Amino acid sequence: MIDKRLFKLPGLTLTLIWVTILTGIQGIAIICQAHFLTRALVNSWQMKPLATLTTAIILFGGAFLLRHVCVWLKNIILDHYADHTSNLLRDRLLDQVYVTGANQIAQTGTGKLVTVALDGINNVYNYFNLIFAKIFDMMIIPFLVIIYIYWQSVRSGIILTIVFPVVILFMIILGFAAQDKADRQYAGFIKLSNHFVDSLRGLATLKFLGLSKRYETNVYEVSEDYRRSTMDTLRIAILSTFALDWFTTLSIALLALFLGLALINGSMPLFPALVSLILAPEFFLPIRDFGNDYHATLDGKNALGDILDILDQPTIQNRELVSDSFHWDANSTLTANHFNLQYNPDNAYQIDLKDISFTLHGYQKVAIIGMSGSGKSTLLNTLGGFLTPMLKTQSQTDNFTLNGQALPHLSQANWQKQFSFIPQFPYLFADTIAANIKFYRPEATEAEVQAAVVKAGLADFVASLKDGLATKVGEGGRGISGGQAQRIALARAFLDQDRRILMFDEPTAHLDIETEYALKETMKPLFKDHLVLFATHRLHWLKEMDYVIVMKDGQIVQQGPVAELAQQPNGEFKALTEHMRKRVTL
Amino acid sequence: MKHFKNLMAHDTWVKPYLKRYKKLLFLSLFFGVLTAICAAALMFTSGYIIDRSATHPYNILMIYAAVVLTRAFGIGRPVFKYLERLRSHNWVLKVTSDLRRRLYHVLEKDAAFFEEHHRTGDILGILADDLGHLQNLYLRTVFPTIVGYLIGLLVIILLGSFDWRFGLLMLLLFFVEIFLIPLISVNVEGARRYHQKAINNALYVDLTDNVMGASDWVISGRHQDFIQRPKPALKQLRQSQLKSKHFGWTRDFILQIVFLGMAIALIIFTNLHLTGSQAQANFVSAFVLAIFPLSDAFIPISTGFDELPLYADSIQRLNDLAPKPRTLPAQQTLDPKDFQQLTLKQLQFEYDADSPVLIKDFNQTLKRGEKMAVLGPSGTGKTTLLQLILGDLTPQSGEILVNDTNVLALQNERAQLFSVLNQSPFLFNTSIMNNVRMGNEQASDAEVKAVLEKVQLKDLIESLPDKYDTVVEEAGNRFSGGERERIALARILLQDAPIVLLDEPTVGLDPITEQELLETFFKLLHDKTIVWITHHLQGIELVDQVVFLTEGDIEMQGKPNDLYQHNAHFKQLFEMDRG
Repeated sequence: MIDKRLFKLPGLTLTLIWVTILTGIQGIAIICQAHFLTRALVNSWQMKPLATLTTAIILFGGAFLLRHVCVWLKNIILDHYADHTSNLLRDRLLDQVYVTGANQIAQTGTGKLVTVALDGINNVYNYFNLIFAKIFDMMIIPFLVIIYIYWQSVRSGIILTIVFPVVILFMIILGFAAQDKADRQYAGFIKLSNHFVDSLRGLATLKFLGLSKRYETNVYEVSEDYRRSTMDTLRIAILSTFALDWFTTLSIALLALFLGLALINGSMPLFPALVSLILAPEFFLPIRDFGNDYHATLDGKNALGDILDILDQPTIQNRELVSDSFHWDANSTLTANHFNLQYNPDNAYQIDLKDISFTLHGYQKVAIIGMSGSGKSTLLNTLGGFLTPMLKTQSQTDNFTLNGQALPHLSQANWQKQFSFIPQFPYLFADTIAANIKFYRPEATEAEVQAAVVKAGLADFVASLKDGLATKVGEGGRGISGGQAQRIALARAFLDQDRRILMFDEPTAHLDIETEYALKETMKPLFKDHLVLFATHRLHWLKEMDYVIVMKDGQIVQQGPVAELAQQPNGEFKALTEHMRKRVTL
Repeated sequence: MKHFKNLMAHDTWVKPYLKRYKKLLFLSLFFGVLTAICAAALMFTSGYIIDRSATHPYNILMIYAAVVLTRAFGIGRPVFKYLERLRSHNWVLKVTSDLRRRLYHVLEKDAAFFEEHHRTGDILGILADDLGHLQNLYLRTVFPTIVGYLIGLLVIILLGSFDWRFGLLMLLLFFVEIFLIPLISVNVEGARRYHQKAINNALYVDLTDNVMGASDWVISGRHQDFIQRPKPALKQLRQSQLKSKHFGWTRDFILQIVFLGMAIALIIFTNLHLTGSQAQANFVSAFVLAIFPLSDAFIPISTGFDELPLYADSIQRLNDLAPKPRTLPAQQTLDPKDFQQLTLKQLQFEYDADSPVLIKDFNQTLKRGEKMAVLGPSGTGKTTLLQLILGDLTPQSGEILVNDTNVLALQNERAQLFSVLNQSPFLFNTSIMNNVRMGNEQASDAEVKAVLEKVQLKDLIESLPDKYDTVVEEAGNRFSGGERERIALARILLQDAPIVLLDEPTVGLDPITEQELLETFFKLLHDKTIVWITHHLQGIELVDQVVFLTEGDIEMQGKPNDLYQHNAHFKQLFEMDRG
């Protein structure tokens, strides 16, 4: 019912002790409430004057209030716990994102991670608020109530004791079996509900095809199909609530009959009979509440499972192996020693990079080329330390050798401080252009930023903006074209000249030819005195490079200086470049 | 609340539908009321049985009627509740079907809306969700409120008929419980919920920055900044939410106190009025116990009211949707077979007075079968040009002529004259066969298969287990980008319009796939007139005319070969593109 991993998080035990105590008091208050209400009613039945009821009414009111004060206090305590724990989970989740970065995102999907961190955490928060109160109510209150009823009337106690397991049994059989059927229907049902958005999104296409007017009827008909199938599902899905209601109301009716018979033949006085009747709904209330909220808690339960699963994934260890004093310079070397890599460690057959080895040194300009899906980006992400290669054995941890130092992976804080990474679609933060440019060096002066803006060819663009460098970009900010976004990323690299390594992942593939041409002119000066790693399938970049790594199916199939590879007649390089250049000449 | 009232005064998306399917609506509310009545009556008859039995009637038959009724109410409550839930969902879903048809109708009418949508993101998804919110408005707010009020009314009338003063007291208590407190609640919470929604959006941005920008954060080494980024918004949100929570708990407690007031009033009332004889006194417990199950009908009203502001945005957005009527000239007909040439004459276009001129004095004539490529940086009006050609937008001056007729007068003929293939062709979540047949619904299976063979998909499709009946899944996810383009190409081959507009159909594909796809396009469409928007020079040798747009102007224009011979800049670009 509750994920056991929760108990590893702090604060739960103390919270649950408090909840137990308060639920206990609440149970006693419920009994007192019924007890004094019955007392008042019996007096009225005996036709005694109002004055004889006063004490009972006051005590009834007091018990009623005490009961709801307990609920209030429980809410406060559980809310505190829920807030505290969901914050803790969010912090850990973000920490996990920071450390395992791209690897995590590749496995979980970006959209899903953001949803989990926001909506998922909110669901978990609500779940914590609901679930403990419901479970403890269900465990404690019926128990206290039934003890009191036994004390008052063994006969009522027996009736309720017999009914209770039957209610639970039927709730399980009908309710959960129905739930199972509903779950199975759910997939088809989502499909139908998506159809509407589908047809709205396809409206433009329908217009192009001249079908949009006639399609209106179809929209209505599909929606009606959706209604019918929803109703079919619903008929079964709400059976569990129906079963619960059915048994509780019938057992009250049954109780009334048996108590009536006992009263008629004089084997029982009024007070115990009436108090049993009044307490019967209270006896069933917690389980009904639990049943009603079962669906509401499911989302939270699933979200909690998702979050804990993500947190359970191994984080990258040993991120501080490279010393603070490390700087890439003209004499540095990096060697990859025949490493393998897989995205998903559970799938032993899917190796995404196989037997990768090469040596890079100084300010080489290295192109990584290959078809889509050949592993160019994966290789680059591994060099950036966002993906970690498999360890060969426990003891052999030299996937890389950096200036003579053996390293299991490149997710090294001090290595990552040495490069700028420019992907196909650079991410712009919801902040000013200046803050985006200063992202690697927040302490940079305005003059330095200006200089970087000029070098990156952004000066005209910035001058055309009303707020200049203070213009907000990113989510909710001003829209920025792909070319300008690349220039902002370049300005970032120009600003931080301490970073002597540049990694590019298809930076111009999606840009129009003139923007690409202009951007290339901007980029060329940046290459000087830098180690450049450039993944691309735009062949014109090869002219700026002096070394090529050719990828195919996750392997390096050829590598060497550009001129040398171009000479080899049957090489993969030759085949690839000829295939890419294939076209009619003008 | 005032905002909400104003909104409802001019609303056409919620109120009118309450009058639809009256019988169903009535049944669902009726069952709702019956549920509450049965719940109360069950406790009433049970209480009566106990009290009556305690007087030791000599025969069980004396309570027989009450026993039967107890059973009936015991069965009635779950049954009516079950029926009520089914009926109300059925009603809501029926209304949803109507709303969906209406939303579709409105959007279908308004071509300009689509222009807006291209600029503002996923408005369509939002609108579809809005209809979902209306469902909740009915189920969680409207229905419980109506049922609660009806029950309250019944109780007041019943008790008032015994004693009008007591009826008045109960009226007062009910007024507080189901009207005053919910109203105060929505007034206090309304603004706060809006505020929370705004903070939540900011938080969403922060978290997106953290997740999407994760690798940049790691490279920058700014671990602390990364952790701290969402903190201020989180703190603000928590403070506001805590206020809401405290308000909610206090309100619930007060609701319970008022309810306690009702119970005590009933205890006193029964003691004062029903203690004249034992026969009357036997009804004491019955009356008092009957009030308790009714709290189930009253408590949800406040929660329902609280949610009103959440629905307000959705209602507003839907009501703001008004198709902008366009005035088009009298429509004419043109047989696609007679198409001779497409003329773009002194075109001038800007979205509104504030935005820059996108298309300035654009002239071009394309004879039947001629092909033109349009290049230029993003934001230079390439897609706008296509929309002008289609007649979705009206130019400020100049005109587009198909033969000698303005395209705006040929809107009924559009699908016969123009085919469009854009960068993410939309495939509907149905079989390949159905998707392709959308191009021409009269086409036979054999014709569909023939075009699929032409676009070189035959082998792939026939290797799939369901062959031509394979479902393409949402947005065509079953297939790769290149394959989706080919399916869409098959569709427009079947459509067989003389003019084909291509809007960057190969963006994002690798050069080899791109070149193969372009060759297929131009081979199969050799007899069509083509306007092709593209972003680099791959395949440029396949067209007759190239136009380079810059901001509001034409940078260069001509036959690719002439440009290559005589234009240094073009030559530079071409050389670079070749690598």
